[in-house]
Amino acid sequence: MINFRYRLKGTPVHALNPFAKLAWVASIFVLSLLFNHPVYLLLLFLSTLPLVITAQIWRQWVSLMKFTLYLCLAIIIINALVSSHGTHLLWQAPFQLPLVGTPAITLEAIFFGAGMCLRLLAIISAFALLTFTVHPDDIMLAMLKMKLPYKSVLAISLSTRFIPTLIEDAARISDVQRSRGLELDRGRLTQRLKSRMAIIIPLLSNSLDRTVQVAEAMEARAFGSGQKRSFYKEIALKKPDIPALIMGLIPLLLGIFIWWRGMGDYQYYPALARLGFTGLEGTLLALLILSLCLMLPLGLARKRIEVD
Amino acid sequence: MRKSYFLLMLIIVVGTAALFAPQLNFSLNWGLTATLLVILAIVAFFFEFEAAAISSKEIALVAMLGTISAVARVPFAAIPNLQPCTYLIICAGYVFGPVAGFMVGAITALVSNFFLGQGPWTPYQMFAWGLAGVSAAYIRQLNLGRAGLIIFGALWGYLYGWIVNTWFWLSFIYPLTLKTFLLYQLNSLWFDTLHATGNALFLGLFGVKTIAILERFRQRFNWGLLDTTHPPRWETRQQS
Repeated sequence: MINFRYRLKGTPVHALNPFAKLAWVASIFVLSLLFNHPVYLLLLFLSTLPLVITAQIWRQWVSLMKFTLYLCLAIIIINALVSSHGTHLLWQAPFQLPLVGTPAITLEAIFFGAGMCLRLLAIISAFALLTFTVHPDDIMLAMLKMKLPYKSVLAISLSTRFIPTLIEDAARISDVQRSRGLELDRGRLTQRLKSRMAIIIPLLSNSLDRTVQVAEAMEARAFGSGQKRSFYKEIALKKPDIPALIMGLIPLLLGIFIWWRGMGDYQYYPALARLGFTGLEGTLLALLILSLCLMLPLGLARKRIEVD
Repeated sequence: MRKSYFLLMLIIVVGTAALFAPQLNFSLNWGLTATLLVILAIVAFFFEFEAAAISSKEIALVAMLGTISAVARVPFAAIPNLQPCTYLIICAGYVFGPVAGFMVGAITALVSNFFLGQGPWTPYQMFAWGLAGVSAAYIRQLNLGRAGLIIFGALWGYLYGWIVNTWFWLSFIYPLTLKTFLLYQLNSLWFDTLHATGNALFLGLFGVKTIAILERFRQRFNWGLLDTTHPPRWETRQQS
């Protein structure tokens, strides 16, 4: 049985307001694309870890990271092969490659690749929190709050709701077809595709009939009759959620300020720049990371309120 | 004025500005700019759907077609990229027009990623599959026949990979030249070829049948959202 990646666990991270988490993930995403300084990127990546651990999604996170490491490898190899901007030559290939020319691997290119890997790790780690701790319905609610057109969001929401039903349908159809002698994993490629389609085509006609029922059910509930629609469940922003929402956005604003002041931009080529910081930059960076990490105590506080 | 036109103008302005940024020595963040453009395009299509979907029928139809193709994506995940979802999106766009085609593609990506994992690639997948649906609606007017449809499907196998790879290329590779772009595409060539083969096989073996099923449904209920395309041609005549 296939399920959402999202699981409700009673951790402080799950107790946080979904909008706050979305803002927080968006902050990490934008900031890791804005900065290319390896220390900034490493700190951004590290600041996702406390939430990952508290949310008890460690195991899923590790399997996601294994997949990410494959991408990292590709990033390092391609950057090392193509970049000829570095000055510290490590290895000059004695042969030529098509498209690349004579590969010359420089220290700077390897460092750049490593920096970009940190960027990817930070982004993927932040999105893992989104996938595993924010319910799909909350994401759609956020889309509505961002004034996205209502009918499109409704279509997405309907679709999410129908996935389990259709998977059940597909399982039933495949049972029926198997009882008629269909062998799903036998034969050559075209034969396999044909047996898969013996499930997809009935599923298609079945669900088209269901479409009519859904539309009629919506009409019966007077869908689209009023100018302003009403909701069964209105999610009001509760008082304890407001600090979390603000804390989700502060890192973004602070980070954009730092970027606008020209910091967080590291020079990889032609030769690696020094890694040090001025006092002001160090203070601002510390503030940024602190504001990212403040999400966790807010979650703990929110959890306590929930328990009371 | 329609909001989608406003968004289209915004896309053109941002896109043109990005095009001239290197000439003006302005260092642009390409990964962010591309993501912004893609999201704006998706939202523009959403507004287009808002105007085109007159009743609950269109919403239910688009949702259901998106669900089928998302479900088709998930069980096939074991066989990399041999997924019937691109072919289903192409058939949906072919029969129900560009707006419905885009919505089915976008819903497929977003909803199936609730099961497979969301990431920065989600908007690009929504965009790529959405465009597959849109272009299928226009390819119909060329009246290419089955062979044309197969080539079209195979082409989308590669185009999809290219669109989704673009973000990775823009965000993690330096320098951004044609050479590095091609090299990055090589990285996923094997997956894209599988995807293209799958599309061609699915469209060749079941395209006509699927289009006939959808076409019959469209005629039976006289669903709106589709007046921009021509009446059915060769495929359904074969059946009926």
